[in-house]
Amino acid sequence: MEIAAVPWWIWPIALFAVSFAIGIVAVHAGVGGGVLFVPIVGSLFPFHLDFVRGAGLMFALAGTLSAGPPLLRAGMASLRLVLPLALVGSIASFAGALVGFAVPTELLQTLLGVLIIGIALLIWRLRGADSANIEADALGELLRLEGEFRDPAAGVSIDWRTHRTLLGLAAFGAIGFVGGIFGLGAGFANVPALNLLMAAPLKVAVGSSGLLISVINSSAAWVYLHRGALLPLVVVPAILGVMLGSRIGARLLRVTPAPVIRRLVIVVMLLAGARALSRGLGIWV
Amino acid sequence: MGLNELYARWLDTATRAGFAISLCAFLAYVGGLLPAYVPLEELPRYWALPVDRFIEMTGAPQGWAWLGELGYGDGLNLAAIALLGLVTPVCYVRLVPALIAQRDWLQAALAAAQLVVLLVAASGLAG
Repeated sequence: MEIAAVPWWIWPIALFAVSFAIGIVAVHAGVGGGVLFVPIVGSLFPFHLDFVRGAGLMFALAGTLSAGPPLLRAGMASLRLVLPLALVGSIASFAGALVGFAVPTELLQTLLGVLIIGIALLIWRLRGADSANIEADALGELLRLEGEFRDPAAGVSIDWRTHRTLLGLAAFGAIGFVGGIFGLGAGFANVPALNLLMAAPLKVAVGSSGLLISVINSSAAWVYLHRGALLPLVVVPAILGVMLGSRIGARLLRVTPAPVIRRLVIVVMLLAGARALSRGLGIWV
Repeated sequence: MGLNELYARWLDTATRAGFAISLCAFLAYVGGLLPAYVPLEELPRYWALPVDRFIEMTGAPQGWAWLGELGYGDGLNLAAIALLGLVTPVCYVRLVPALIAQRDWLQAALAAAQLVVLLVAASGLAG
């Protein structure tokens, strides 16, 4: 059947189903899901990329808002860790969203694809940081970026603290800027920045990444809304689907073993990176 | 009550409210209970256009202009979407006094600064 011949109401139903599935997977990967939503919906649905980017940002926002409460209650998201990083990230994301409407997308897509694949390979090569042996730096101590996380899946309790706090803040500035440009939550970069750079335990990194996205995307979302790039027929089925899916995903996360999450993070990032690269180079637009 | 639990409670309530309002507004929109600014059956002619061209062709609202279109299904849905953008600022409004009450001055200052950033973004003044 020709796409033009498909009744309009089929598209919101299909969007809801796709968004529900991505919502479950996204929480496990510590991403808002925009990084999956934008390439999948941009390829398979008839909407212009402007509306898909706007919906992607709201999708990531809605999914992480929905997943936030269970993640906080399970101790997997640390508000204390999120506050300073989200402040830097949201200022940068707001600036990035403004720039995103003015910069050639192909070049930035290519760079983004290279960056994501590079980070995925880095995670694959490196082991997760061992938080137990980390000495907090002065800024981390001042901000009291520490906590205790009980992991029911592994049956252990981890006293964690972060280090390289200044570098972490710089990283979240860069991540927020890139995320704002593309209408992504940029959780694909949050997790390695929190885990590999700042040494937060992987599950705390995944959980806090979700909460970070909910704060950071709240500022960039307004840019898309004010520019008219949020089409309700695209945005609302997507956010309803992801809000339901991510609630289920957040509950499953608590009992999913960390190695499984790590492998999932790598696969999600490689797929998303390859897709961004192919679009940037014009191989598969 | 710990800060995580306080934030989780507010986030949960605000998000559930946003979800319910979005669902009701969307059903009213696609169910035809409210007229649409751009009729649903005509949308497929425009949704493949870049946003600037879409606005030019349909006259769809930009900035805060959707506030004047709340009688339309699509305008009402933009309001519901905007409510989701306000969930985090609402949670921070509750968080700042809680941090001050705990005399956690540094984190309170960070949360207050975040609130300012979110409100500036929402105002549309800087974008």
